[in-house]
Amino acid sequence: MVSLVLAGVGGQGIITVANIVGKAALIEGKNALMTELHGMAQRGGKIVVEVRIGDYKSAIIPARSADIMLAFEELEGARNLSKLKESGVIVLNRRMIHPVSLTLKIQDYPERIVAEALSKYKTINVEADQIAMNLGNKRVANTAMIGATFSTGLLNLREENLITAIKESLPEKHWDINMKAFEQGKILPAFETAKVA
Amino acid sequence: MAYDLLLGSEGKMEFLLGNEAVVRGLYEAGVSVAAAYPGTPSSEIGDVLYKLSDRIGIKFEFSTNEKVALEVASAASAGGLRSFVFMKHVGLNVAMDSFVSLSGAGVKGGMVVFSADDPSMHSSQNEQDNRFLGKFARTIVIEPSSPQELKDYIVHAFDISEEIGHPVLIRSVTRISHVRAPVRLGKIKEKNEWKYKKSASLVLLPENAYKAQMSIVNRLEKVRSSKYNGILNSVYGDSSTLIITSGAAYNYIDEAIQMLNVKARILKIGLSFPLDQEMILKEVEKAERVIFVEEGGPFLEEQILSLCAIRSINKKFYGKINGSIPTSYEMDVDRVAGFLSEIYGIQFQTKTQNLNLPERAPVLCPGCPHRATYYVAKLAMKQRGIKDAIVPTDIGCYSLGYYEPYQLGDYCFSMGSSIGSSSGFTIEAKERVVSFIGDSTFFHAGIPGLINAYHNNHNFVLVIMDNYVTAMTGGQPTPETTPPFKRVDIESVVRGIGIKNVYSMDPYDLKNSLDTFKKALDSNELAVIISKRECALEVDRKRVPSEAKVFQINQDKCNLCYNCVKNFTCAAFYVDEGRVYIDPELCDGCSVCSEPLVCPFNAIEVKP
Ligand code: SF4
Ligand code: SF4
Repeated sequence: MVSLVLAGVGGQGIITVANIVGKAALIEGKNALMTELHGMAQRGGKIVVEVRIGDYKSAIIPARSADIMLAFEELEGARNLSKLKESGVIVLNRRMIHPVSLTLKIQDYPERIVAEALSKYKTINVEADQIAMNLGNKRVANTAMIGATFSTGLLNLREENLITAIKESLPEKHWDINMKAFEQGKILPAFETAKVA
Repeated sequence: MAYDLLLGSEGKMEFLLGNEAVVRGLYEAGVSVAAAYPGTPSSEIGDVLYKLSDRIGIKFEFSTNEKVALEVASAASAGGLRSFVFMKHVGLNVAMDSFVSLSGAGVKGGMVVFSADDPSMHSSQNEQDNRFLGKFARTIVIEPSSPQELKDYIVHAFDISEEIGHPVLIRSVTRISHVRAPVRLGKIKEKNEWKYKKSASLVLLPENAYKAQMSIVNRLEKVRSSKYNGILNSVYGDSSTLIITSGAAYNYIDEAIQMLNVKARILKIGLSFPLDQEMILKEVEKAERVIFVEEGGPFLEEQILSLCAIRSINKKFYGKINGSIPTSYEMDVDRVAGFLSEIYGIQFQTKTQNLNLPERAPVLCPGCPHRATYYVAKLAMKQRGIKDAIVPTDIGCYSLGYYEPYQLGDYCFSMGSSIGSSSGFTIEAKERVVSFIGDSTFFHAGIPGLINAYHNNHNFVLVIMDNYVTAMTGGQPTPETTPPFKRVDIESVVRGIGIKNVYSMDPYDLKNSLDTFKKALDSNELAVIISKRECALEVDRKRVPSEAKVFQINQDKCNLCYNCVKNFTCAAFYVDEGRVYIDPELCDGCSVCSEPLVCPFNAIEVKP
């Protein structure tokens, strides 16, 4: 039984990632549930997706019981920490999307409070956008995130099933580059905590 | 091809969104005709049907509003075909006039009305529980709990509907329609043949309507004793505490009682109107206390408590009526465990944590034409010395104009309400009235309001924000979409009413738009501005990514006046240590911010 929270901002493709994890579980013969919330903004609003693998009926994860948090954006990761259990792991995409509420007030991104909140947990920093950029397609960043999540060993899913699920979700011409992103996401520094600025 | 997995053979398991499972259910049930007006959380049903309709033999249309959609479907059912209409909860209010009469007329081919309610109002203006409307209209009400049940119950609903000759309302909620789960596919039924027979029961003149009242009673009576109660209701667990539940609320109970380490007997109701009274009362009689856990209002609770009153059954009852269970907002495991713990008298605390983080309010997309429209609207009002305009707005992405910095939107509650309320405001208001409505909303419910405004000599400025799609629900077509449909031109509609004061503008052209606004504001009779520019997301969907331009701030030219961030406020702008930047990942390349009306120092330029 594994629960994941995925948090980020509309337009980041988070739902697709959650869908891939859920599919992989199904391929493995497990039950999986996923629920998504994305207010009224088409892009730029906050998004939370929850995935639960195992014998659950509720797709919504109770407070403090998610095993893994995939933070696609740092502030949104911090915002949803109340879902993560104390021993939970954050897979953190190093991406900051400034909320308009701050920009309007000529304020900076709240880096310090976000880092402080995240630093209470085991965190894997993933330079997903960098990996994607190096591979020449910024859309594969999320596949690197899946690779990184897999490498935590907490997903309890077999690699080949994740790969099948990724391929089923993409046209064949994108398979190669996504497999590379997956591999590079997998190679991670050991657990580190987010640096407090 | 996307959605091919919905066409799979019987027995296959697929990971489906609740709303996708609905479409598979329609396919399995042999449905011939479906219609809808898009509304979240039901929108994906339409997206999938729109793409698959030919392949699954369902004639599907986006109708102009929910009432029209319901009538399209009910006529097909009168011809013996199985028909389906779906909407978000508030859509049923629009369809209500015909919906209420449907039970009297009865149906020939099975007919199912699908309502996706939105407890907690994730994307809605209220959290009305449409089971009450189903009962009010005396349709059969069925409540699934999961994507699998959505699909299966749709098939059952069509069977019941056709067997009894009565319409069925299926009530889903966000946390079913927007949940993904494994769904086992079933077998595909044959479709019915077209067979229309004239019948007095379809003409609800007083004489016929009088008779229809009795047939409603008789048909509902048949449902009570039908085999479907056994199929749609279930009960398990051994305890003197009985929890009666349904729909999404059911999903949280097992986990909550496990968390609390208590026992309960669970009665899950799938057929929630009319109720299988004898079975339910037998369960209640056996119990010592009864707890009602429902998503929405006390629907089962009210019905069952009144039955108990008649039969003088006296137990300890807990629910929304006696205040043991909150009446607002959606359920989840923590909430259910919270109130159950109080009823059971045990300690339980949800472990929440409060971080003080900046909010991320919903925003218009980078490149959104509405931003440009709002920017010039504010500027024009400022230049004309109008400070206190009353601004009715409407339902759509543009209602985000309510937020800073535009703050255009101070009256909004239902589809089309901007125009009717504008008329009302102009009667006595000293303030100028400027209102906003989207293209799809205008077609849906705006036209009668505009005719009223013109006919009754109301003087305000109406801005129709025309982006050629129903954007907020994911870009569904509107009456302007072609081909294969005929295009309805908004300007011709407005002029056809007789209104002369009509202006079309491209909001990206800020200078011209500003002049247009000022002209409209100067006018002393009803003025309509049609602000035309395709939704930025649609443009994005069609565009080759490499063709998109990206803009940047030339830091040498930037004077730090902050006009761009404070007043135009594209979501791609950000500030770091006092300097303004554009996030290249977010910039849509629309170029509007580079106009002198936004940056007077010409500091915003294309990134090489
Ligand atoms: S409007 Fe131009 S000068 Fe003013 S802050 Fe923005 S970029 Fe700089
Ligand atoms: S060009 Fe300017 S207004 Fe348009 S999306 Fe980019 S930053 Fe926003």
